[in-house]
Amino acid sequence: MSFSCCVKPIPLHLHLHPTTTTTSCFNSHLSGTTTTSSLSLRPLVLTRNTSFNFHPKLLLKRSFNTIRCSALTPELKSTLDKVVTSNKIVLFMKGTKDFPQCGFSNTVVQILKSLNASFETINILENDLLRQGLKDYSNWPTFPQLYIDGEFFGGCDITVEAYKNGELQELVEKAMCS
Amino acid sequence: MGVTKEQVESSLNSKLNPSHIEVLDTSGGCGASFVVEIVSEQFEGKRLLERHRMVNAALEEEMKEIHALSVKKAVTPEQWKKLQESNQSNPAA
Repeated sequence: MSFSCCVKPIPLHLHLHPTTTTTSCFNSHLSGTTTTSSLSLRPLVLTRNTSFNFHPKLLLKRSFNTIRCSALTPELKSTLDKVVTSNKIVLFMKGTKDFPQCGFSNTVVQILKSLNASFETINILENDLLRQGLKDYSNWPTFPQLYIDGEFFGGCDITVEAYKNGELQELVEKAMCS
Repeated sequence: MGVTKEQVESSLNSKLNPSHIEVLDTSGGCGASFVVEIVSEQFEGKRLLERHRMVNAALEEEMKEIHALSVKKAVTPEQWKKLQESNQSNPAA
């Protein structure tokens, strides 16, 4: 298997991606279970975006979460459990914080930014297995999906409504302080 | 392929027994994007997330074809009445 397959397909990334990180990607692939049925599936990459997505120096320091799975496997479930509990606020979205690729995702990003919330985003367009698995994980058919304090909060409509009535700000502040 | 406004309405009608429902096809013809406004007694005592989950569940089949579903309102008849009253007293809002 080529190492480059676990690298996020952004040109900038490919040039700057350090070898050490690539190796750790590969190792984490080895730790996952590979069955015959999953051989045809692309490796799944979960990339935690920082708000400095395109700063070359920071990009090098960036940490990666790499996992491999098919739809909502027990492995994906436990990884998602970790992702949503180890970050106060996580947004699974189309595109990135800096380049949302869907109006609904963009709305939620702008709301969170306006609340000065620090949040992680994960681009579900990069992997279809993650995308499908998350629908089951959250029991929610569409994206974006917002998690606060390890719990599914809602999609775009719910976030907008909670933002309007002040509930979101309260929850975000609570999450940031906890 | 897509879904029609009528299909969305009939699924919601049969599963959530709404006292008011408004379905808007925002797809521009392809039938993959809808905005829904729904008033139902079944929402009583349920949080917004649960209400949206009920709408999603009612449209489980349709969701396979629908790309974007926006639930603009999922309220109880009582809340709906209050909304109507506040809209009347403040038409600009």
